[in-house]
Amino acid sequence: MRTETATATTARREAAGQLPPTFQDVIMNLQRYWGDAGCVVLQPYDNEVGAGTNAPATTLRSLGPDTWRTCYVQGSRRPTDGRYGENPNRTQHYFQFQVLMKPSPDNIQDLYLGSLRAIGIDVDAHDVRFVEDDWESPTLGAWGLGWEVWIDGMEVTQFTYFQQVGGFECSPVPVEIAYGLERLTMFVQGVDSMFDIVWSRGADGVTFTYGDVYLENERQYSTFNFEVADTDFLFREFNDREAECLRTLEAGLPLPAYDSVLKCCHTFNLLDARGVISATERMAYILRVRTLAKAVCASYMRHVVGMEVPEEEGGVVAPGALEGKGEDR
Amino acid sequence: MSSLHTLAFEVGTEEIPAFDLHKATLQLEKLVPAALDEVRIPHGAVSVRTTPRRLIVIVEDVAEATEALEEVFRGPAAKIAFDAEGNPTKAAVGFARGKGVDVESLERREENGAEYVFATRSVPARETVGLLPGVLKGVIEGISWPKSCRWGTTSEYFSRPVRWLVALLDEQVVPVEFAGLRAANLTRGHRFLSPGPHEVPTASALLSVVESAHVVASEGAREAAIRAGVAEIERASGARAELPEKTLLEVTNLCEQPTVLMGSFDEEFLRVPEEIIVDAMLMHQRYFPLYDADGKLTNRFIVVSNGDPDHAATIVEGNERVVRARLSDAKFFYEEDLKRPLEDYVERLDEVVFQEALGTMRDKTDRLVSLARHLATDAGLPAADAADAERAAHLCKADLVTNAVVEFTSVQGIMGAYYAQAAGEGGQVARAIADHYRPRFSGDDLPASQVGRVVAMADKLDTICGLFAVGQGPTGSSDPFALRRSAIGIVAMLEAGLPVSLAAAVDASLATYRAAGVPFDAQAVRDEVMEFFVTRTKVILRDGGCAPDAVDAVLATGVEEPALIMARVRALEAARTDAPEAFLNLATAYARANNLRDAALGAEVDGSLLVEEERALLDAVERAEGSVGAALSAGDYPRALSELAALRGPVDVFFERIMVMDEDAALRENRLRLLNRFVGVFSHVADFGKMAKGAK
Repeated sequence: MRTETATATTARREAAGQLPPTFQDVIMNLQRYWGDAGCVVLQPYDNEVGAGTNAPATTLRSLGPDTWRTCYVQGSRRPTDGRYGENPNRTQHYFQFQVLMKPSPDNIQDLYLGSLRAIGIDVDAHDVRFVEDDWESPTLGAWGLGWEVWIDGMEVTQFTYFQQVGGFECSPVPVEIAYGLERLTMFVQGVDSMFDIVWSRGADGVTFTYGDVYLENERQYSTFNFEVADTDFLFREFNDREAECLRTLEAGLPLPAYDSVLKCCHTFNLLDARGVISATERMAYILRVRTLAKAVCASYMRHVVGMEVPEEEGGVVAPGALEGKGEDR
Repeated sequence: MSSLHTLAFEVGTEEIPAFDLHKATLQLEKLVPAALDEVRIPHGAVSVRTTPRRLIVIVEDVAEATEALEEVFRGPAAKIAFDAEGNPTKAAVGFARGKGVDVESLERREENGAEYVFATRSVPARETVGLLPGVLKGVIEGISWPKSCRWGTTSEYFSRPVRWLVALLDEQVVPVEFAGLRAANLTRGHRFLSPGPHEVPTASALLSVVESAHVVASEGAREAAIRAGVAEIERASGARAELPEKTLLEVTNLCEQPTVLMGSFDEEFLRVPEEIIVDAMLMHQRYFPLYDADGKLTNRFIVVSNGDPDHAATIVEGNERVVRARLSDAKFFYEEDLKRPLEDYVERLDEVVFQEALGTMRDKTDRLVSLARHLATDAGLPAADAADAERAAHLCKADLVTNAVVEFTSVQGIMGAYYAQAAGEGGQVARAIADHYRPRFSGDDLPASQVGRVVAMADKLDTICGLFAVGQGPTGSSDPFALRRSAIGIVAMLEAGLPVSLAAAVDASLATYRAAGVPFDAQAVRDEVMEFFVTRTKVILRDGGCAPDAVDAVLATGVEEPALIMARVRALEAARTDAPEAFLNLATAYARANNLRDAALGAEVDGSLLVEEERALLDAVERAEGSVGAALSAGDYPRALSELAALRGPVDVFFERIMVMDEDAALRENRLRLLNRFVGVFSHVADFGKMAKGAK
């Protein structure tokens, strides 16, 4: 539903002969901008992930001394956030635009503000704020300090200086910028429901909205995640993937092993959405995923970065890590 | 005397978290003078200004150089410092090294008739400008942050990355270095309104350069500007804003140049419980809600912007859109939650861990019902109220798994009450659910009804007993489950007249854990918990201005019920205030008797041996035994105290006229027995000896 204000904004722009950028314009502009800033423009990782952070191009490439710069769109799945397409702001599948630069450039905040200008946001005419929001992922043994970025009170980006990943100190320090593409485009287009986002607009005026593309997807997956997914199969899959991860690690192959970690995460999230994991089991599953994730990071340090990692490394967790802020991406 | 200079130092950063910034500001006010004093740089006033993007220190009247200093230290005696051959001993070498001088330079001088060695250390005058880089770097490194990070390729830590440094002694740049940066005379302005860089011609100009670049450099000035803006809106709108201290501080430290604006949302959302709207605005968006003259929430709010005031309309429009999204979320959650009765959510509490070793909130709920039943019975609540207490205990945690509370945590309890009412639960049950987290802090309102208090006490006591049982009681400054606050809350309810026995409640609570199979030593945990409550009670009494000797006097009788302890201490203090002289006499007589007391002799007085004064005392003691006992069993502690006061006359005469330690053993021992008996009368009231003169 469009409100008067949103319509007024759009009407003003239309009168001025400038239509706001479409969803795909936003993506392409961000890719162009960060590509020009030296980032490798990757394509989305082809495995279920809960956030752009979880793609190996961020998680694993944050480790080690080498320079790395990348940006990519990542479709992200959070089964418990499904709302059957009925909530205008929340879905079980959404898109992030992920930037990772290691080491973090000195002018990174200005670079970021430049990216907002690149998608048509006049940052000088809005109230842009960096509001404290630190990040901790107990399952990845990772944490960092940073902010959520607000534009006129709306959170559109997570901005984080990674300090540790997989229990290993990040040195040099990578900076991660994760844009919520739907939020950002809703802001740019002045719409109140993500399903009203204009995804594309052809030269002949034919438009597709986000709803045209993804509403049916939301309905079906919400039903599947909450009601249909076979829990016996999922429990089995978790165990099998865990075993496969360990077997792959024995072969000294952290990259394919990491795929199994992601599979375990997603399987766990589905079981969680099905409501079949009790509180005590929950802890135990998170711990199992964490153990795998840390083992993969340790293997990556050994086999890819080429650093000596003592056997017990990668199993050490800061006390209280699980009581800290939960997995939020 | 050399001329004096102004020192300006600015650490330019990426946005420092609001509360951390506030703490750093307070630290800098001490750190900077201490760092200057440490290297003896004479200086005048130090002022600190901070914003999220900068820490600024201005020091007035900084001397050009430190003063030369000659320090003389007396060392060991000469005969220890030198051996028979006149060579320096280890003692002399050690002393010289300790003072940083050559052992040859030690001098021998007589002082107070003995010969000692002396070391003289000369510290030459040093130029301030040469010392400052080290001093200022020390200041940067000396700030302690709750959390700090590294960035780029640096190994230094700071709250957030440091991006520029300004350090000027008048016009001269002080070459401070930190994290790959070197100080210069270039500052930056407001990120959007006047980014810069801006040149700072001289130290005393730093603040004016920064302020002309749209930066209100001090926390106090920004807060004042925000308050003024809020007052302006209040005047114009006729509404009243709520400015919680914490949110105000946060908002103050989330901007460099505040502009106070008013926005509104659709009145339709006012149908959602007010508490969620307020939570969404204050906690999530840092907006200040506006209330009408009757204290009712309006559909308007205040937002403090850091943006360009010329674009206020755009900024308000954006914020209104965010509020709309938030409130439609809240409304959606609220309406979703209402689709099922509150009862349905109780089962799902097994998804929420209470404490690892103590199970889930579902388990806790079962214990609460049983403990509430015990408390309601002990308090003698009418059957209907007792049933309400059990029902409220059963439902009180259910809202933890509702959408609205998962999203807006601060409304726990309150939402439960709304949902209870919607599900047709009684008003008293709903109110008890809303109230059961109360009192949330010292001085907070207590639950409105006895039913509410029963549930609140059950909840808090269950947490305390459970955590003590698994060895997670508070230690030192660490109290992660806020058990102290819970205990203080229970004591406040007991004192306000919840007529239950704490000791019995602790036993009942521990029994629920034992029944659930949690292993612990029941007696040891019970003692620990009661001791914990006694200590809390003591602290409450002392914080409330009660004299420690009165507290000790009451506690010496072994009473552990907080309500009893508090009532008795207050009565004791009142008795002392009423008649200070008489009270002190009685206490002194008691102390004297208590010192002489010989428990081995017993209290069987041989009446045939008594003289008149002794007889009078025995009569008074016998009367008091009866009347004090009666007063205590009637719960009338003040009367017990006044009955004891009747002993003052006879005991004074006794001590005045009777020689207790008579040479005749029979007489002596009989008198001691009489005193034993006298002391015994006090034993259940208070240890008056603690309140005698010189007892402290």
